[in-house]
Amino acid sequence: MVAFRNTDASGRTSGLLLRCVLYCLLALGLIIFDKRYDHLGQIRRFLSVVAYPVQVAVASPFEGWDWFRQSVSSRETLRADKAKLEAELRLANFRLQRYEALEAETQRLRALRANTAVVAARFVVGDIMDLDIDAFRERVLVDKGARDGVFVGQAVLDAGGVFGQVARVEQLTSEVILVSDASHAIPVQVNRNGLRTIAVGTGDMSRLKLPYLSTSADVVAGDLLVTSGLGGGFPAGYPVGTVAEVKRDPAQSLADVEVRPAAALDRSREVMFVWPKPDAPPQPDALAAAQGPAHAPSTAPPGAAAAAPQTAAVPPPHHGAPKK
Amino acid sequence: MALSALVALALAVVPLPPAVDAFRPDFLVLVVFYWSIESPRAGGLGLAFAAGLALDVIRGVVLGQHALALTLMAAWATHLRLRLRVFSLLSQSLTIFALLTGYQFVLFWVDGATGNPVTTFSRWLAPVTGALIWPLLAGGLSRLHDR
Repeated sequence: MVAFRNTDASGRTSGLLLRCVLYCLLALGLIIFDKRYDHLGQIRRFLSVVAYPVQVAVASPFEGWDWFRQSVSSRETLRADKAKLEAELRLANFRLQRYEALEAETQRLRALRANTAVVAARFVVGDIMDLDIDAFRERVLVDKGARDGVFVGQAVLDAGGVFGQVARVEQLTSEVILVSDASHAIPVQVNRNGLRTIAVGTGDMSRLKLPYLSTSADVVAGDLLVTSGLGGGFPAGYPVGTVAEVKRDPAQSLADVEVRPAAALDRSREVMFVWPKPDAPPQPDALAAAQGPAHAPSTAPPGAAAAAPQTAAVPPPHHGAPKK
Repeated sequence: MALSALVALALAVVPLPPAVDAFRPDFLVLVVFYWSIESPRAGGLGLAFAAGLALDVIRGVVLGQHALALTLMAAWATHLRLRLRVFSLLSQSLTIFALLTGYQFVLFWVDGATGNPVTTFSRWLAPVTGALIWPLLAGGLSRLHDR
């Protein structure tokens, strides 16, 4: 039996209704101001600094356990890990050699077309904090914030591909919305043929979908999807996922396409924040005028021309960054 | 009081496996209810509002959402406190279930009004587990409080 001590059974809580109404009005005011006018950034930032110790305190036992496990892991495990990592590094270096040549070639081709290549200029690695922010939304908290120059809308990658984008920035932390969140959409391109569409999250970390492709669209299981760079939010050319299944119902006008995300959304511990290149030196128009038209049809699908102005409109590197 | 609220806040964000996550009771809400019933003058609406604001900041939703829901329901709990204290455990749990459902409903409503509704059925599971855990939590808190 729960025994409440009747400490103030007689003492009336004077003006309960009045105080309730006052607090509710205050809360409603906060909601409206936060939603409508976005004036509460400073307050929120301050409160989040106050809340930071709680978040760290909750996350630290798990991190401490990880650290402990690592520090007592046996010599054999470490050796095996080292051998594996070395093998991976060798492979990665091998691929990189080709990558550099390819990038140079791409730059050359783009220069011909007077496009500015949107290539990431700077990376910062952040650790995902071990917290459940919200059971019903696919979001994670990362330990890099406004202090490190993170800004809202910034692209976030992990080792496999596109992880998500920054939804909210606090002083010391930031909230990243995963590509699989039901309210997230990302412009993508089928790597094989350049077909552009939009990948939408499903609320399930192992699945994305492409809801805007017609039944006749040329997409098959196994196709790699990469970011198209349209809209300027994400740098172009990073893997988003592979097509897992294409269902075509002749009665429907749109195909039902399922995608497996390339990033390890449910396993990654570290993510990379990407800053777009400050300003790739704009190519002289004369060059484009002289050589562009001749090359245009062969170098890119017609849609890419429309992409140029938008990709160039990527925000400057420290857009919305430290306001201290 | 502040300590119990802090612990509850920590429990609200401790990582759990996704399968169990939807069943996580709203610990902080239960603690606020307890103090609203036990000593509404020391930890009444002020505590409710502060705790709600903390939840808003940590969960990253629109500022004031949890504060509004928690204040309303804490006021209701305070209003019912004299009756709640003499209720049997079962009746207490049922009342707490009603309060928690009301809390979720206000959250649901604000979610919808601000344009990002979460319509999964599983959000209504938390009140059930919350009501089930209430006797344990209230019993434990009153033990600690007696010391």
